[in-house]
Amino acid sequence: MATRRLTRSEQLQQTILYPVDWLEERSGLVGGIRYFLFRKVPGDINWFQTLGSATLTAFIVQALTGSILAMYYKPSATIDPHTHQPIAYDSIQRITNELWAGWLVRGMHRWGASVFIILMFMHMGRVFLFGAYKYPRELNWIVGVLLLAMGLGEGFTGYLLPWDQTSYWATVVGININGTAPFLGPFLAQFLQGGTHINTDTLSRFYAIHMLLIPGAIAALIGLHLYLVVRLGVTSPPWSKEAAGTGPLVPAEQNGHRAGLTRFAERRSSR
Amino acid sequence: MATDRLVERRRVFQQYKEDVKERGKPFYPFAMFHDTLMSVVVVCVITGLAIVWKYTTPGNHHTTAAGWLGKLYDAPADPGTINFVPRPDWYFYFLFYLLRIFKWPESVLLGTIGVPTICLILLLAIPFIDLRTERRLSKRPVAIVASALVIASMGILTYKGATAKEALGTELLGQVPHWAQKQGFQGNQQAIAGAKLFAVSGCLNCHTYLGVGGHNLGAPELTAEGAKHKGIAFQVSHLKCPACVNSGSPMPSFAGLGDQRLTQIATFLEASKGPK
Repeated sequence: MATRRLTRSEQLQQTILYPVDWLEERSGLVGGIRYFLFRKVPGDINWFQTLGSATLTAFIVQALTGSILAMYYKPSATIDPHTHQPIAYDSIQRITNELWAGWLVRGMHRWGASVFIILMFMHMGRVFLFGAYKYPRELNWIVGVLLLAMGLGEGFTGYLLPWDQTSYWATVVGININGTAPFLGPFLAQFLQGGTHINTDTLSRFYAIHMLLIPGAIAALIGLHLYLVVRLGVTSPPWSKEAAGTGPLVPAEQNGHRAGLTRFAERRSSR
Repeated sequence: MATDRLVERRRVFQQYKEDVKERGKPFYPFAMFHDTLMSVVVVCVITGLAIVWKYTTPGNHHTTAAGWLGKLYDAPADPGTINFVPRPDWYFYFLFYLLRIFKWPESVLLGTIGVPTICLILLLAIPFIDLRTERRLSKRPVAIVASALVIASMGILTYKGATAKEALGTELLGQVPHWAQKQGFQGNQQAIAGAKLFAVSGCLNCHTYLGVGGHNLGAPELTAEGAKHKGIAFQVSHLKCPACVNSGSPMPSFAGLGDQRLTQIATFLEASKGPK
């Protein structure tokens, strides 16, 4: 049979799919995304298991609002000759009071930090209570603990940036506490301060740590964390009778339920 | 024995993989729907907090007054200030309050470094301590008790840290004549000037003196500091650089106050021999 001429809709389909095919042929990314989206998870995963992605969302909010703040924030403790206030403090006031929606972006960053930390703790509690840190997911638990420590580090370094009385004195005491650690303590304190006491160098150092060093490490570790989740699979809740989280397979039609959307249909009939 | 356990763990995980492959459901759209909904809630909560923070701030919002969620910003940082409250963000309150439990100098290191480090190591070690495959909570009494204790102690420490009363310099100033009378330095103008500085410089956020003060960071009681006869020169150099004199001290430097005022505070401390 001679090759049939393509219909118009087939032509259109080919045109649309061309870039997708091009990308897939060269990177395999499309297949990767397809694998990510259509990988199987246990049948009765629970609302508590959304806490991890909720934490990721909070981190994304922090990254976006933080990038916007970085466009207007100036990490300098030098006194501005016109306002007679530290430049960093001035820029925070400007962001809060003058910039369009600046208060919203700063507020979201400030409170997003709290939400991020609460969610990390809740996510960790869920993983602990579900026993999801057990073989073979030990490494992912360790990555998670490191992420928690880094998140707290973000909280500590970010707190100084407004350069007001609260942040300044909390950081003075915080660095002094770091300095009390045996052996490494004094070096750590001196490194954090960028000198022997807190000054404008400390501020730019905290700024660099807060928006480059730790976020970079967090992003990389989140990548590893997610890779391990996809590779090892999502844990079923501990109360599941079977590892896959559902009972033995019974065709959903026999339950008088529509397949798929009713979550407990299969399990109920099996007991 | 150990190998038996390993074989069992591998078998359970293999079973899990097969079961999920056979009877699991695809991530999209089922799990993804829940995740997306939860993420929308998170973004809404964050936005809501930002709005409440801004719009409950009294006045024209351009103030350092506190709304429901605290101040938009405090007064600008001033290293030479004479009144400050060292207070971390709320999620560090449990660490902050932990330091009150330990006493300077014997065990304060336990509070600042020891307990947090031990907790971090324990946290990292959990998957290597608990090697059983059992995940049902009813069969994990140790895990339940441990998590209940952790949640309770973190909650109590955070609450205590949040409600810890800060001594206000202006209120403490009124105590100075009472201190002078109790300690018997009424005639000593230098000591009285020092007592006033001591009251407003935030010393009592950590130290205690004649029954008032914060008792933070393991800071010692100073009521009878003068009875130790350390001398004015020692007190001044200690105020300038506490960690240089007392290695490991978390106390901040007060060099910003200047020699004259530091000498007054030192005189006051040396005149405090304990109540008569």
